[in-house]
Amino acid sequence: MSDASVYPEPSNTFKNSKRNVLSLIVDNEPGILARIVGLFSGRGYNIEALNVTVVDIKENLSRITLETIGEEKVIEQIIAHLEKLVPVHSAINLADLNESYEAEISLIKISYENNEQNNKALALADIYRTRTVSKKEGIVIYEISGTSERVNKFLDDLNGINGIKVEIVRSGPIGLGV
Amino acid sequence: MNTDKELTGAQIVLEALKEQEVDTIFGYPGGAVLPIYDAIFGQNFLKHVLVRAEAGAVHAAEGYARSSGEVGVLLVTSGPGATNVVTGLTDALMDSIPIVCITGQVPTHLIGTDAFQECDTTGITRPCTKYNYLVKDISKLSEIIHEAFEIARSGRPGPVLIDIPKNIQLQKTIYKSRKDINFRPHRIKSGSTEISKDFIESLVSHIKSSVKPVLYVGGGCLNSGLKASEELIKFAELTNIPVTTTLHGLGCYPGNGKLSIGMLGMHGTYEANLAMHNCDLMINVGARFDDRITGRLDAFSPNSTKFHFDIDKSSINKNVNVDFSTNTDIAHALSALNLYIESNNIEFNHNQISNWWGEIKEWQNTNCLNYEQGDEIIKPQHAIARLNELTKDRETIVTTEVGQHQMWAAQYFQFNKPNSWITSGGLGTMGFGMPAAIGAQMANPDALVIDIAGEASFLMNIQEIATAVQYKLPIKIFILNNEYMGMVRQWQELMHGSRYSESYVDALPDFVKLAESFHAVGLRAKNLSELDDTISEMKSINRPVIVDIWVDKKENVFPMIPSGAAHNEMLLSKYDKEKPENQEKGKVLV
Repeated sequence: MSDASVYPEPSNTFKNSKRNVLSLIVDNEPGILARIVGLFSGRGYNIEALNVTVVDIKENLSRITLETIGEEKVIEQIIAHLEKLVPVHSAINLADLNESYEAEISLIKISYENNEQNNKALALADIYRTRTVSKKEGIVIYEISGTSERVNKFLDDLNGINGIKVEIVRSGPIGLGV
Repeated sequence: MNTDKELTGAQIVLEALKEQEVDTIFGYPGGAVLPIYDAIFGQNFLKHVLVRAEAGAVHAAEGYARSSGEVGVLLVTSGPGATNVVTGLTDALMDSIPIVCITGQVPTHLIGTDAFQECDTTGITRPCTKYNYLVKDISKLSEIIHEAFEIARSGRPGPVLIDIPKNIQLQKTIYKSRKDINFRPHRIKSGSTEISKDFIESLVSHIKSSVKPVLYVGGGCLNSGLKASEELIKFAELTNIPVTTTLHGLGCYPGNGKLSIGMLGMHGTYEANLAMHNCDLMINVGARFDDRITGRLDAFSPNSTKFHFDIDKSSINKNVNVDFSTNTDIAHALSALNLYIESNNIEFNHNQISNWWGEIKEWQNTNCLNYEQGDEIIKPQHAIARLNELTKDRETIVTTEVGQHQMWAAQYFQFNKPNSWITSGGLGTMGFGMPAAIGAQMANPDALVIDIAGEASFLMNIQEIATAVQYKLPIKIFILNNEYMGMVRQWQELMHGSRYSESYVDALPDFVKLAESFHAVGLRAKNLSELDDTISEMKSINRPVIVDIWVDKKENVFPMIPSGAAHNEMLLSKYDKEKPENQEKGKVLV
């Protein structure tokens, strides 16, 4: 376990990946999220992950990052439809950028029954350089950040420990171009 | 008006409409819009047309917009007033018609309490408007109204809704003029007026090498204004390329023009569809490759290089992948194209496509719109053909309902200029035609406005005949009465073994007496010998007229590309035995 180095090596992951993580700048106004979500459900597209936060208080702008799946033409269509929405300033596929960086944060609660389970989980948490945010008898909460792939791997490994219960919250991938 | 004086929200609405030069508004009052109705009372720049149901208001605003090129405006109350316009807003969105719809809403402190006549209007209308607003702050009202008009008419036009709570209508603030508002460019999204030289050069070089070109023109050309139509005609004449139009494109290129090969698509002409199928170069001007146009996608125009002009980027590569595209406004794009051709003295060798024209002429010789008019029973096609012939001396605007009569109107009425044909294409809204005719007549008091209708569609908004009577609008409702939902019956015949499930319209009213009871005029033609006289009489009456034309009950619309079939698999008539194999597959399509 280590409180340092919670941020692993950055990686330029979106380019040439098959993932489509779209990054939007929008006016922060009532109904904006409903507009975006309605576009996806109405036209039969899927949202795999979604993150919305105000990023510019002065200009009242929010950034929406969402992951979706589809062929190249479908993604082009989604972007064209998003760009048509009145409050949308820009919509880009991070995979189209030459260089962009990804991060995701996740909190993972582990409920264990015996010390052997806990030790196995601790060892993994150490390998993955997580941060322990809470520790009580039978329950530990770890924080992990990095690429979605890294979070996935940690979860896969944890699930290999027999008898523990894992509860997860994930921010979904966010990303920024250079 | 002293702009420093404080006005109520209701007065600001009126002031903004005045500044937007709106002179007609369609509406229906109710509790949540009473302050705006109070502001309408006693003013004299704005004519309010009281419809009989809110659905009528939105279609009337569409008819007004389509026939005038201006934004159509309507005003309805909260709750049911708002929900009743949902169909019309969707219709306007599908057909790119600029509308501003003002709805009343319960006071802000009651929002969310399930108050009387409360509904989540912006939530319900979000997917069926180009944009919508809930006004919660009086200080933003002026700006919102002006922005709504900009959004409605810019880029690909569409409906915009403004939901105004009653307390906002009564609060006071200083009105902000349009000229004092800096619109944020990302919210208006106007089309580009510049076109890339590469696109123009590629197009010109493809035309030069093409031996089978075709121009496929849609409603986008109409929406780009009269100039777009003029430039299109010029471009077609410079290149001698055959022109086919979609349902909404009718009139963009004159139906009687020498290069016209008629409408294409499901009920398009044989020559238009075969030209689309066999062309080597397709130039799409403001059309969106709708499923009614393309037929089976994997067999759609397999050997052509495709150019696509469309202001809406999301229309590009949506249904059909194209080779070259531009999002420049069509009037600007075609004007730049023509200028390039002329200033570079580019000549197109018309002989190069003379064989192509020869092929098209042969297809035209099949005379696909032929019908056999007997001695007595009126064929619906003939009724439209005679209507067309006998109204040539008047400036005529045709609206339609939805169904067989709509297709016959498109096939047998000739549209020679833009904005004279108003129909519900995308959504296919029965009940559209009469209120749309009311709107068109309001915008064009001197025109002969005819709603070509079916008896089933007409019944869907029949209450609006009272509106026409009240405002002395001499619209004509020309009903092709076959006692069936004709298009439903046709599909049941072709695809469901002639099992006419619920498509017979029993217990029809006597349309002549019905007209009289509304203080309109009713006429009837039961057989061929009465047809011409009835049309002439209809024309001579300067009042609303309902004309009940009894037509052949079993007639079908041909040619027809059945759903799921390709352009070269069309049925030419009921005698055509070569039905495509994938009839069953087509059954699941609409």
